[in-house]
Amino acid sequence: MVETFTPAVCGSRARQRLAIVLFALAAILASAALGAVLGLVGSLIGTRPALIGAAALAFLALLRETGVLRLPIPQSRRQVPEGWQYELPLPLWSTGYGAGLGVGFLTFQPVATFWVAGAAALALGRPLAAAGCFALYGAGRAFMATWPRRREPSGPAAVEKLVGRASLVPRANAVVLALAVVLLAIAPAAGAAVTSLGRGFDPAADGQTLARARMDSGTIKVLVNPPDPDPTDTISPANAPALDGDYLAYEDDAGIKVIDWRNDSPVTQLDGPYSHPALDWPLLAYIRDDGEYERLILADLSNPGHPTHRTIASVRPAADLGRPALRGGRLAWHRVVHGGSAIYVLNLANDQRRAVKRTNIWMEANPSVTAQRIVWVEHRPGGSYLRMKWFGSKRTKTLMHLNGRKTFLWTTALSGRTAYVTKWTPSTQKSVVLRVNF
Amino acid sequence: MRRPDGLLDGAARALSTRLASGMTRRSFLGRMGGAVLAATGGAAVAAAVRPEKSEAFHFCGHIWTTGSCPNPLGLPRIDKNGFPLRPSDGHPIDNLGRPVNADGWAVDGSGSRLRSPDGEFLPRAPRTRICEEWTNEQYGLDAVMEGAWYRCCSGQVRKLVDCCSFSKKRINGDASLTGYCFNGRRVFCVMYYDSGLKC
Repeated sequence: MVETFTPAVCGSRARQRLAIVLFALAAILASAALGAVLGLVGSLIGTRPALIGAAALAFLALLRETGVLRLPIPQSRRQVPEGWQYELPLPLWSTGYGAGLGVGFLTFQPVATFWVAGAAALALGRPLAAAGCFALYGAGRAFMATWPRRREPSGPAAVEKLVGRASLVPRANAVVLALAVVLLAIAPAAGAAVTSLGRGFDPAADGQTLARARMDSGTIKVLVNPPDPDPTDTISPANAPALDGDYLAYEDDAGIKVIDWRNDSPVTQLDGPYSHPALDWPLLAYIRDDGEYERLILADLSNPGHPTHRTIASVRPAADLGRPALRGGRLAWHRVVHGGSAIYVLNLANDQRRAVKRTNIWMEANPSVTAQRIVWVEHRPGGSYLRMKWFGSKRTKTLMHLNGRKTFLWTTALSGRTAYVTKWTPSTQKSVVLRVNF
Repeated sequence: MRRPDGLLDGAARALSTRLASGMTRRSFLGRMGGAVLAATGGAAVAAAVRPEKSEAFHFCGHIWTTGSCPNPLGLPRIDKNGFPLRPSDGHPIDNLGRPVNADGWAVDGSGSRLRSPDGEFLPRAPRTRICEEWTNEQYGLDAVMEGAWYRCCSGQVRKLVDCCSFSKKRINGDASLTGYCFNGRRVFCVMYYDSGLKC
């Protein structure tokens, strides 16, 4: 490409600059788009299998690059279609060249590292982050089309100079691949990608928006964090948030309120001894404590004039029904009594309830649901575990665990393939919300 | 700060204690003899002098090999009804190993109830019997607390209790013994209850 972007080929210095800019833009956009697609696919297939695949691929590439193993790589034998620069107008061929090189697999691949980066983007499972990382690949392509000519007016001479230093590339590449193998291989040890999102507790999620409660100077408030660039919304005093689109349910001293958090306008409120709301508008689940019993109520607020309230479960005050979860036509809750604990799910479509997990020993608590999955926390003497199960599958998967009794996992939230969980240390009163991508 | 020779002495003492607790004198000599013969005469001869299973120290009052029943904190100390207690001081604990008050609520070192991040009291965790619930759920058995015998430990009477099931295997994974079990049951694992009575 160094030889292509010359005034002679382009027609003038101005046209050369235009061709370089278009080439660079196309390369960056194409590689970012490829990264986004890989990240999206990764988010659908799950990060753990992709991560293991990426580590294996990096290892194979390392063997290939060090000459231990001979492996073909998928590539085109040409760099770009040469005829385009003679047949097409300049804006088109320079953009086409940029896009072709930016997506990587339409051109010649001197090393296998591109495919390792692709697998890593897949393993990241986050389209935006993968797009950002992959855009650097396109930027690198654009950089290499111009940088070798910075002191060399002749294109062919610049290329010759570059070829003279080419022997360094395989060695540097092997070192990078070895590092990639190590980093990718140790990443699955965490079970899933865990990120701390800072102080807070009782997370509630819907899409990319996360709500949480936070204790500040003795007052509990609710923070709603939509994706950037929207600002964070704060409601105070408020506790135990539940989120459904623009609607936020929370508890305060009077009972439960539902508001439109984007403009802070009230939607409805229930005054009384009500707490722990779960929202899937127009359905609202909550706990009613009348002193003698703690009851889980499911309210249908679709007709504001005649809301219906239905008791789903009840326990004596010494037992606990915790914080219910409502999403995708399912209501989930825990029941912890002296003799054991269980996680229940009620399918609202057919009114069938079943125990997802029941035990006489451990403490199963704080479930969250989507239409496909359920997550909850299992407390054991040795630590606490974030468990996940597909509806319709018998297998339970552990997303993460914390050792010890001093710090444990607490309330959860679930949105797509991302779980959120509170990490709580009673002795220091410190709580943080963790994001777990799986 | 301990002197280096003191540290060395301590390490040697710990090692000898471990050796002594892991084997009887007979078993130690048997293993030594087996090793020498194996080196000189081959495995067939060595097998003939393989020592019997060691009589391992388990906890005070129990030197046989049947293992502890599953429990929250490592030693199967129970109250008279079979619920878990903290081994160090006999304080009641829940199934998560946290000390609890008389009503079963988890408490901290000063006896105050533990709270969740929003300041509410934490819910009670399950507190169930070591043999009838813990052992049965983890091993899929129908075990019950049956036979018992007594020993003097730390100046008080300790009741050692068998958790008995119809399983032919014990918690260690090998063949179970009848021990103090009855009605065809065998010892699956053991627990203990400190009575507080002087001996």
